[in-house]
Amino acid sequence: MLAVKELSKSYAAEPALSNVSFSLNRGEVVALLGANGSGKTTTVQSICRLIEWDQGEIFIDNIDTRTSTSFLKQIGAVLGGCRNTNWRLTAKQNADYFARLRGFSGSSIRKNIEKLHTALGLDEHAKKEVMKLSTGNKQKAALLCALSYSPDFVLLDEPTLGLDFNTVNDLQRIIKDRVEVAEQGFLVTSHDLGFIDKICDRVVVLDHGKLLFEGSLDTLKARLFKYELTIELKQPIELSILNNLWAGRFDLQLDQQTIKVNYGSPEQSLVMLHYLHEHNIQPLQLQIDSLSMEKAYQTLVQQKDVK
Amino acid sequence: MNTHLFVNEMRLQCYEMRQYWFETLSGLIFITGVFLGLFYGIKSFVLEQGDGQSLDGLLFGYLLWTFAAGAYGSITKSVVEDTQKGYLEQLFLCPNGFISLMLYRSLSDSIVGLVFLTVIAYVVMAITGNWLTINFGYFYGILLLAAPSLVGFGLMISGLALLFKRVETVGAMLTLALMGLVALDGLPLNAFTFLPFVSGASLAGDVVLDQNALRLDYVLIVIANSLVYLTGGIYMFKAFEKQAKKRNLIGQY
Repeated sequence: MLAVKELSKSYAAEPALSNVSFSLNRGEVVALLGANGSGKTTTVQSICRLIEWDQGEIFIDNIDTRTSTSFLKQIGAVLGGCRNTNWRLTAKQNADYFARLRGFSGSSIRKNIEKLHTALGLDEHAKKEVMKLSTGNKQKAALLCALSYSPDFVLLDEPTLGLDFNTVNDLQRIIKDRVEVAEQGFLVTSHDLGFIDKICDRVVVLDHGKLLFEGSLDTLKARLFKYELTIELKQPIELSILNNLWAGRFDLQLDQQTIKVNYGSPEQSLVMLHYLHEHNIQPLQLQIDSLSMEKAYQTLVQQKDVK
Repeated sequence: MNTHLFVNEMRLQCYEMRQYWFETLSGLIFITGVFLGLFYGIKSFVLEQGDGQSLDGLLFGYLLWTFAAGAYGSITKSVVEDTQKGYLEQLFLCPNGFISLMLYRSLSDSIVGLVFLTVIAYVVMAITGNWLTINFGYFYGILLLAAPSLVGFGLMISGLALLFKRVETVGAMLTLALMGLVALDGLPLNAFTFLPFVSGASLAGDVVLDQNALRLDYVLIVIANSLVYLTGGIYMFKAFEKQAKKRNLIGQY
């Protein structure tokens, strides 16, 4: 098990991570979500020991990663951007090099590389050095390297960046396959919530370096506001009245004559509509939107009290 | 000795030399061409003074400098280029440690460098007609004993590169400064002995060029010089690495 315990890191007295704890088991996919600057990449880099953190501990199978570097044999990482491969080598040569760098070689590794190379659709680019590949194919080459020696834990920082729709689907399939067949554990950071939705068992949400939520994707979804009601009125209305109209979980924003309410279930809006009708208040505009996963997630970050 | 890492770095060298054969070949031609320019530039001047020994010294000094520049630049080049082009962070994920990896990379670079050096030596001697009797066994042995001092020096500059990134100018200046180092006489013990590689270059000249017997005390001086600079380089690199990790600068460019 990979366990992050009360991890804290500051840059020039500005906290980047504050007491963040979570775990990742073999055969599990955990998503690390958060806006830019929320601490996702700092967390991944801490696990890889690419940064020195201030407080807390990271264990891999009960081995403190600060006391030994042997744990790196069990880690595969695709770090942000296209900064994972030697651009002067082909994807396959890179995979072979990085597997050997971790101490893995032999026919089983070669077979695994061949299989993944085909699965990632890199065969037609087999003779091209990485520098000649498109951004998406560079990302695939990085994935090939990270998966080549079947590490127990794979850290993917924004793996869908620059990938087309088909390749994202291929990546989902490969991750699912690796989880089921090889029992590898994946920690995935991504802004692509559709991608996360399809592959993750658990979600860890960070906001400004703090743990905002940790739990199953279903629990997270139950916490999200799914609808948004926007009403523009001729006359301003008192906030206390509005608050009384909304039962259950909601988030209300009042901007002069415009009222914006995020809420969870459709029936919550009925009382408000009834109130408008009863008091003969004619709205200038009335709109109800079903929020996309991305938009719903943004409302979660605004709530901040969901843990 | 971690043969796994060594073999991996040798394979990397082979991949790159094979795929970029034109770069490899043009590099060899460039080094040879620069030497020929130097050689013929000063030949008439030296021969007027009847000092044939100076031409031998020039040829030998150039070979030493070529090797020294390679040994010093191996790690620095890796850190600077890999920071810019991409995979330095992944090299830090080596379970044996980044320094260990760089030392094996440097060793494989030095071995390939020695092969090239031999080729250049014969090409240059054939073109100039200035044939030296070089005992390559002694030559390689002494160079490999002295090389760690330059590797240590390279680690110091690479540590700076982790923090300050743009150290190419400093690196280029030091590469030129190596010309001075290989020309200095560091044996017997004097102030120059304490500079990196000087005692090794002097011992190589003494044994290989002047055909004097190998003295154990000189060998010990070369080993001590290498150990001091290598240990210092490792220590300084670790200190810079720690700072770079604290400030999240590994791989940032």
